[in-house]
Amino acid sequence: MARFLMVRTGLIVVTLFVVSLAIFAVTEILPGDAAVMSLRQGATEENLKARRAELGLDRSPVVRYAEWMGGVVRGDLGESLIRKTPITEVIGGRIGNSLILAVFTFAVSVPSAILAGIWAGVKRDSWGDHTMSVGSLVAISLPEFVTGILLMVIFSTTLHWLPSSSFIFPGTNPLTSPSILVLPVLTLTGVLFAYVMRMTRANVIEVMETHYVRTAILKGLPMRRVLLRHVVPNAMLPTISIIAMNLGWMLGGLIIVENVFSYPGLGRLLLESIDSRDVPLLQALSLLIAVTYAVSNLAADLCYGVLNPRIRLA
Amino acid sequence: MASSATTSQQGSRFGQAIVNGVAASGRMLRNELALALRTTAGKIGLPLVIFHLILATVGPLLAPYSATDFQRDEDNRVLQLQSPNTTYWLGTDNAGRDVLSRVMSGASSIIAVSVAGAGLGIFLGTVVGMSSGYKGGRTDEIVMRVMDGLMSFPSLLLALLVLSTLGANHENIIATIGVVFMPRVARVLRSVTLSLKTLEFVQSARLRGEPALYIIFREILPNAIPVLAVEASVRLSYAILLASSLGFLGLGVQPPSPDWGLMISESRNFLVDAPWIGLAPAAGVASLVVGVNLLTDGLRQARGLPVGGDHD
Amino acid sequence: MIDARPVDVPVAEVRDLAVTFFTPRGTVRAVRDVSFEIRPGEVLGLVGESGCGKSTVAFAMMGYLPGITRVDGDILFEGADVSTMPAAELQDLRGSRIAMVYQDPATALNPTMRVGPQLEEVLKRHTDLNSEQSRERTAELFESVGLADPTRIGRRYPHQLSGGMQQRVVIAMALACDPHLLIMDEPTTGLDVTTEATILDLVIELKDRVSAAILFVSHNLGVIARVADRVTVMYAGQTVEHGLARDIFKSPRHPYTSGLISCVPQPPTDEGQGDRLTSIPGAVYTAQEEGGESCLFALRCPIAQESCNNQAPSMASTGDGHFARCLFPDDVAPEIWGESQIRVEELTDEEPEPVLEARGLRRFYGRQRKRYGFFGPKGRPPVRALVDIDFDIGSGRTLGVVGESGSGKTTAARAVVGLVPRSSGDLQLEGDDLARSVEDRTGDQRAAMRMVFQNPTASLNPRLPVRHAIIRSLRKLAGLSKSESEDRAVELMEAVGLDPTYLDRHPVELSGGEQQRVALAGAFSANPTLIVADEAVSALDVSVQAQVLNLLEEHQRETGTSYMFITHDLGVVRYVSDDILVLYAGHVAEYGPAEAVLNTPSHPYTEALLSAAPVPDPDAEPAHIRLEGSVPTLRSAFKGCFFAGRCPRKVGDVCDSTPPSRLEGTEEGHDVYCHIPLAELTEMASTPPERDVASTPAD
Repeated sequence: MARFLMVRTGLIVVTLFVVSLAIFAVTEILPGDAAVMSLRQGATEENLKARRAELGLDRSPVVRYAEWMGGVVRGDLGESLIRKTPITEVIGGRIGNSLILAVFTFAVSVPSAILAGIWAGVKRDSWGDHTMSVGSLVAISLPEFVTGILLMVIFSTTLHWLPSSSFIFPGTNPLTSPSILVLPVLTLTGVLFAYVMRMTRANVIEVMETHYVRTAILKGLPMRRVLLRHVVPNAMLPTISIIAMNLGWMLGGLIIVENVFSYPGLGRLLLESIDSRDVPLLQALSLLIAVTYAVSNLAADLCYGVLNPRIRLA
Repeated sequence: MASSATTSQQGSRFGQAIVNGVAASGRMLRNELALALRTTAGKIGLPLVIFHLILATVGPLLAPYSATDFQRDEDNRVLQLQSPNTTYWLGTDNAGRDVLSRVMSGASSIIAVSVAGAGLGIFLGTVVGMSSGYKGGRTDEIVMRVMDGLMSFPSLLLALLVLSTLGANHENIIATIGVVFMPRVARVLRSVTLSLKTLEFVQSARLRGEPALYIIFREILPNAIPVLAVEASVRLSYAILLASSLGFLGLGVQPPSPDWGLMISESRNFLVDAPWIGLAPAAGVASLVVGVNLLTDGLRQARGLPVGGDHD
Repeated sequence: MIDARPVDVPVAEVRDLAVTFFTPRGTVRAVRDVSFEIRPGEVLGLVGESGCGKSTVAFAMMGYLPGITRVDGDILFEGADVSTMPAAELQDLRGSRIAMVYQDPATALNPTMRVGPQLEEVLKRHTDLNSEQSRERTAELFESVGLADPTRIGRRYPHQLSGGMQQRVVIAMALACDPHLLIMDEPTTGLDVTTEATILDLVIELKDRVSAAILFVSHNLGVIARVADRVTVMYAGQTVEHGLARDIFKSPRHPYTSGLISCVPQPPTDEGQGDRLTSIPGAVYTAQEEGGESCLFALRCPIAQESCNNQAPSMASTGDGHFARCLFPDDVAPEIWGESQIRVEELTDEEPEPVLEARGLRRFYGRQRKRYGFFGPKGRPPVRALVDIDFDIGSGRTLGVVGESGSGKTTAARAVVGLVPRSSGDLQLEGDDLARSVEDRTGDQRAAMRMVFQNPTASLNPRLPVRHAIIRSLRKLAGLSKSESEDRAVELMEAVGLDPTYLDRHPVELSGGEQQRVALAGAFSANPTLIVADEAVSALDVSVQAQVLNLLEEHQRETGTSYMFITHDLGVVRYVSDDILVLYAGHVAEYGPAEAVLNTPSHPYTEALLSAAPVPDPDAEPAHIRLEGSVPTLRSAFKGCFFAGRCPRKVGDVCDSTPPSRLEGTEEGHDVYCHIPLAELTEMASTPPERDVASTPAD
C-alpha cells in the first residue's frame, strides 16, 4: 500500500512537470507579447525593445522557465501584467467563488446521482429506469452553455424568479446573495448528475450478475441485505474513482458556466487573461487548473486503493 | 522448406496483409453500425446522425437565403429581429440575416470540424495506443506518461490555450481537437490491446514469426473494432460539444460564417425579445449530440459493452 | 447435531423435471427429463459432460433459475415443491435446510467482505444466536472443515486465502445451519490435484459426521467414483443411467456410460500399456435441438438399431435399483466400442537422439525492486519461476511434464518455444542453439517447433475464418504457394477428422473439440519436429479429450514427431508419456522414463501426486498421502530442499539446510532429487507416512 502511494505520487510529480513545460511552451508562442500589449499605440521598435528588457522578456526561455518554476515552488506566482498586482492576490480573490460553485454542485448532484443510479440498476428495464435513461441522455447531450441559457430563459427572463446575471461586487461573498448561485449550480449539476447516475447504474448491473451476489441470494438473505452489504459496496468502488475524476471535468465546465452567468470566478478570470494577453496570469491559472485535475485523479486512485481490500492488503 | 520468396515479394505481401487488416476492420465497422441499428437506441440515433450529415453536405445549397446577407424589404430597410413568419420560417436575427439559412449553413462547419477532429484524434490515438500497448516495457511507460501529461488538462482549457495562441481557423481547430482527444483514445485502445495480446491466437501468430505490425493490424485490430466503434462515437459527441463551446466563447469559426456556438452566444442580448435566434441553433446542437449519444448507446448495447468511459 | 431421521424417506425427489430457457438467441432445453431421489446420509453423484444440464438441475433444486424459464415436473424437498414455492418460503429454505457449494470459490465470496462476517450473516438470518454466539459457532465451523487458526481466520479477506482454503470457507458457510440437503456443484474442478484430494477427504468425512444428503455434481468420473454412493449419469438433459456406484462403473447398462468410462485413461494393468482410449464419435446433442420421438444418443451409439430412432426410451429397471434409458441394456459391454486395441509400443534398440536438450533453464521475472521507487530497503525479489531445469526429449518420444499450479510447467513450455525469454540456460533443437525469444529464431526453427494451447477458443482469432491460421502457417513456415497451401489445408483438415468446408467458418461456429482439432491441424502443418502441448486437453470433455489424444498418438506414429505434453492430470500423463518430468515450485523433483517415475521408488512429491489423483474405480484404495498447505511463493531462493515445507517424508534438518542433489543408485536417466537414500525410499513406498489424515488441519 505504501508502495502504491509512493509510485502514484511520483508519477503525478512527473506529469505535472511535463504539464508546466507544455503551458510555458504554448504561452511563449502567443503572438503579441506582453510588451506589445502594454505599449499598444506607442509601440516603436526601440520602445518595444526597452519594454521587453524591462519585463525581462529578452532573456532565454530556459532561464525564464526556471525562474517561473522556482517562484511557483516557493509560492510566488508572479505579478499580473495588466493589473499590476501579485497573481496570488488576484486568484485569491476569485478562487473562493469558484470553490463555492464546485462544492455546491458536488453536494447537490453526487449523492442524489448515486442513489438514482442504484435504484435504476436494481429496477432495471422498469419504466422509471427507462425514463431516467432518456433524461440522462438528453442531459449529457446538451452543452453547458445551452443548458445555462435555456435555464436562464425559463427562470430569469420568463418567470423572473432568479437573476440572470451573477454579478456581485468584487470582494463580496456570493453566499450573501444565494439566488445568484442557483442557476449556475443547476446547469453544472445536470451533466454531472447524468454521468454519475449512468456510471453507478452500469456498475450496479454488473455487480448484480456476479457469483458472489448469487451466493448471497442462495444463502437466503433478504434482498435488502444483499443490496446493502454485497451489491452497493462493490458497485461503489469504481464509481468513487469516477467521481473524483469528474471534478476535473467540472473545471472545464466552470469556464463556460461562469461566462454564461457572468459569475466572478476563476473561469472568467481565465478568459479575461486570454483576451488581455496577460501571460503570467494565464500561465498561473492553467497550472493551477492542471494541478487540481491531477490531484483529484490522485485522490481518486488513493480512494480506490484504500477502499479495495485487494490493494490495501496486497 | 524455407520460403524462397524475394524480399520485395515478402515486403509487398506484408503490406498487403496490413491493407487486408484495415479493410477487414472497415467492413467490421459497418457491421457494428448494422448491429446497432437493431437496438432501439440505434434505430433513433443513427438516422438522426445521418440526417445531420446530409444537412451538413447539402444545407448550404438548400438554404432559402444567404447565411450572411442582410435581408431587406422593399424600402431597402434591414429586416432585423423579425419573428418567424412565412417568408422567414425562423425569423431574422439582429443583423437581419435569415436564421433558418444560418442554421442550415452552420451545420456543415461544425460537423466538418467535429468529424475531422474526432477522426484525427481516433486515428492518432489508435496508432499510438495499440503500438504502445503491444510493445510494452519502457517505451509504453514513457508514452503513457506523456499521454497522462496531455490528459491533465481539461480539454476545453487545452483547446483555449492552443487556439488563443495560434488563432482560430478550421485547420487549427481540427488539429487541436485531434491532439486533445488523442491521449484519451490511446488509453482506451491500449487497454484493449493489452488484454488481447495475452490471448493464445496472438501467441500463435508470434510463433509463426509474424512481425509486430502484422499482428497489430491483422490479428488484434479486427478484435478491437467493437470497442473502437463505441469510442469513436463517444469522441464524436465530445468533439461536437467542444467545437460548439469554443464557438460560444468566440474561438470557433470566425464571423461572418455562421457557427452555431457563436450564434447562441450572440443571441444572449436578445433572449427576451427574440429567443428564436438562440433556440434554433441550440436545437440543432442538441439534436445532433442526442443522435450521436443514442448511436453510442446502440453500439454499446449491441455488444454488451458497459456504459463506462471517462467523462471528458 | 445428528437428528434421527428415518433413512428411507428421501430428502429430495425430482420427478420428470424439464427446464427450458427462452433466450434472445433461441430456446434452450437445458433439462428434458430428469428424475431421481436422495436420502439422508448418502452422496448421489450427478455426472455428465458439459451441456448435459447437471448444473441446471443443481440450481433448480435451490429454486434459482434466472431468466425466462419454464419448469415442468416436480422438485420436491421434504414434500414441498421448490419450483412453485413463494419467494419468502424459498428464502427461509436457502442457506438453512438446503445449502450449496460452488465451482469457483474465489468468485463465490464477496471480495470486499471478511470471510467471518460472510458466514456470520447466514447464522444471523436463520438462527437466533447473538453476535457473541455467532462468532463462536463460526470458529467451530471453520475448525470442523479443517481450517487452521479458526478463531482468527475470519478476519481475512477472500483474496488472502488459497483456493483450497476458500472452498473450505464456502463449505463451512453451507454447513452453518446443518442443512438437510447439501448441493455441491463441481466443487473441486478449479483446484489442484493435491488440494482436491484433501477436499474430497472432507466430503467423505462429512458423509459420516453430518446427516445431510449430498448431491455431488461433477464431470470427473474419478472424483465421482471416490465420493458417490449412488450415481446418476446425464446426457443431453436426460438421465440415462442410475444405480449404485459400483454397478455403474463395473457393469454399465447404457452405451454412453460405457463409452464414457472407456474414454478415461486408466492406469495400466500388469500386461503393459493398457488399452487404447475409445472415442465416442460425433458431437454432443445440444440443448438447442428439439428432441423428439427418438433416443437422443442414437446417432452416436454403436449398438443403435431401427427402433432407437423411432422410440424415445424411458428409464427402465435392469434389476437391483439399477436403471437405464436404453432399449437394449443387456447388449452393453466394453466391446461395443470396438475391439480393445492394445497400444503398439514402439520398441527401439538404440537410444533415440534427443531432438531437444535443455540445461540449466532458469526463468525469473520482475526486477529486484526497492521499496520506495528508487531508494529504501530491498523490496520484492523477482519471482523464480524456473530454477535449473534439465531434460531431454527423444526423437519420436513424448515427454510428459506434470505439476500443479506454481510448478513452472507452463513457464517451461513457453520458454522452450520462445514466447517467454528464458533468463539463462541452454536450449538446443537438434544440436542448434535456440535464441531466447521466438522473434530471434530462424524460420526453420519456428517451423520445427509448434505449440497447442489449453483454451481452444482463444487459440483461434474469433474475427477471422478458421482457414486463416492454417494457411498462414503453410505459407510462412512451409513456404508453400497459394494453391499448394489450399490443397494442403484440405488434407490437414481431413487428417484431424474435420470436414474441409469448416475452413470457411468462424471459430464461434465450432465446438471446443473441433476448435482444438483446428489448432492441431495448424500445428501439424509444417511437419514440425516437436509439438509443445500446454494442457491441450484439459479444457475438453472426457469424450472429446479421448478423440484428441488418439489423434495425437496417430500423428506421432506416422510422422515421428516428438511431444512435450504439459498437464496436471495424472491419468493423462500416465497414458501419453514415454518420459516424465515432475516439477514443483520451479524445481525438478523427478525425471526419467515413465515406468521408472510412476513405479517405486519415487520422490515424495511424485508419490503424493499419484496418491491424490482420483481414479474412476470405486474399489480403488488410494494411498492416503496428503500434503498440508499450498505451493510456496516463489520469491525467495530455497535454502534447503524446495519441498521441505510440505514433505510428508521429511527426515530432518538436512531437508531445510541443504538443497538435494541427484540420488545415487537410480537407473541411468532417472533423476530423483531427495535426501532420503534410495533403499529407504523403496521401503517407504509400501508404508504410508505416520500422519492421521482426518485430524490434520489444512493451512
